[in-house]
Amino acid sequence: MTSSLQHAFRSHSSTAPAVVATQLIKHFGELEVLKGISLEVPEGTVTSIIGASGSGKSTLLRCMNLLERPDRGELAIADEAIRFDRNPQGDIIGLDRRQLQRLRAKVTMVFQQFNLWPHLTVLGNVIEAPMRVKKLSRKQATALGEHYLERVGMADRRDAYPAFLSGGQQQRVAIARALAMEPRLLLFDEPTSALDPERVNEVLGVIRGLADEGRTMLLVTHEMHFAREVSDQLVYLDQGHIACSGTPKDVFEDPRCRQFMAPAA
Amino acid sequence: MTSMTPEGLIDWAGPILNGALTTVQIAVLAYAIGLLLGLLGAGAKLSPWAPLRGLATVYSTLVRAVPELLLILLLYYAGAQALDALLGYLGMAGAVQITGFATAVGVLAFVQGAYMTEVFRGAIMAIPRGQLEAASAFGFSRWARFHRIVLPGMLPNALPGMSNLWLILIKDTALISVIGFNELFFTIQQAAASSRAYFLFYAAAGVIYLLMTLSSTALFTRLERYVRRGQPTEA
Ligand SMILES: Nc1ncnc2c1ncn2[C@@H]1O[C@H](COP(=O)(O)OP(=O)(O)OP(=O)(O)O)[C@@H](O)[C@H]1O
Ligand SMILES: [Mg+2]
Repeated sequence: MTSSLQHAFRSHSSTAPAVVATQLIKHFGELEVLKGISLEVPEGTVTSIIGASGSGKSTLLRCMNLLERPDRGELAIADEAIRFDRNPQGDIIGLDRRQLQRLRAKVTMVFQQFNLWPHLTVLGNVIEAPMRVKKLSRKQATALGEHYLERVGMADRRDAYPAFLSGGQQQRVAIARALAMEPRLLLFDEPTSALDPERVNEVLGVIRGLADEGRTMLLVTHEMHFAREVSDQLVYLDQGHIACSGTPKDVFEDPRCRQFMAPAA
Repeated sequence: MTSMTPEGLIDWAGPILNGALTTVQIAVLAYAIGLLLGLLGAGAKLSPWAPLRGLATVYSTLVRAVPELLLILLLYYAGAQALDALLGYLGMAGAVQITGFATAVGVLAFVQGAYMTEVFRGAIMAIPRGQLEAASAFGFSRWARFHRIVLPGMLPNALPGMSNLWLILIKDTALISVIGFNELFFTIQQAAASSRAYFLFYAAAGVIYLLMTLSSTALFTRLERYVRRGQPTEA
């Protein structure tokens, strides 16, 4: 059971990229935050998005599960082209709600502020979405939940409420919650930025482990060393454009990229 | 002509208990409906659709701005007439007992709903946005998000206000006596008037109201402890 769970996410044989974003544009009112972003995340790889504050990293990440709806562009995620409703000019004006729900079961997110549900226990938080969204039985969901809590080292606190945990522990629970959906793609938005410095490593350790397992991940982070170490691809955002992208080696060795990153690093 | 002896009380014990029971029934029903109206009202107030927001604002503002006694009288007579007309239309005219009870419940629920709207609106707005966003991000349906996250998330904030409104409601049922319906207060007035033992009966009424409010306060305290189970107790 354990090993079948552990490797369930590898069982699909498709080789299409987990994400293909083409010319994504996103405005907030007058402000154009994404100015035509094209990005591929191959299956089983880790891509980190870096860049200065306000450059649009979170917005781009949140387009991947459509917490933000892009205004233009194409998006294919986990083998599904997203069916946007568009006006005659091609601007995106709506979404297919059922596809949206299906997508969000396959692409899960870990937030900067953890965003655990305070009225549910640790285990309750982890099994809620599998039960409500994937319609698993409580028993099935609990088996999954316990497995992933074990995975992040939080199994012994399964009956605790989030408010009684440290930030690092809450974030590990949030990671287990995201894993318990057995997603095709994991999104992380600055998962260690809200943590006390001495709690950062326990969370980075878990994420590194997931990278080593070959999970497909898209990660926004300010932790340059970590990004360099775990990523297959680095994307440097600058004012809504991709200023630089490539393997960490390429990006860090390219003088033009280094110049961009100098103030950020 | 009974005197100030407890016998008067014993004679009236049956009707008074009946009245108390009616009061509890009116209050519980009005509260339940008021909760529902409050949820709808809060939902409307937080809706992105302006006409709905406007409607909810008119409702909660008007009801809270007019003295309750006046509102009860107004709504009672308007409601009773409407219901009588409806029953007459259905060929069941004269079912006054039913009309009286139903309108009493309806009127109090309508008033409760307005206050409840404000309690729930504030409580929902106090839920950290990220918790709702997490539910959306995991693909919760609107209903799942509402009853699994929003409802339990707002209850800790809403319960103090809800318990307050319940106490006010129990006491407001006494206002129903002005329209001559046989709830506790009306029965007590009759008992007091016919026996002339005013103090005795009003004191008895006070004790009964006190029992009702105290026992419900105990219940609300336990409920609050339950909905706050995930929150560390502050030192
Ligand atoms: N919901 C919103 N409404 C209006 N403006 C927004 C909204 N979300 C983001 N913005 C603006 O869009 C720009 C990009 O925001 P975004 O959060 O994507 O930046 P970021 O790169 O993640 O920054 P940080 O490192 O500070 O998290 C910012 O100027 C921000 O103020
Ligand atoms: Mg951000």
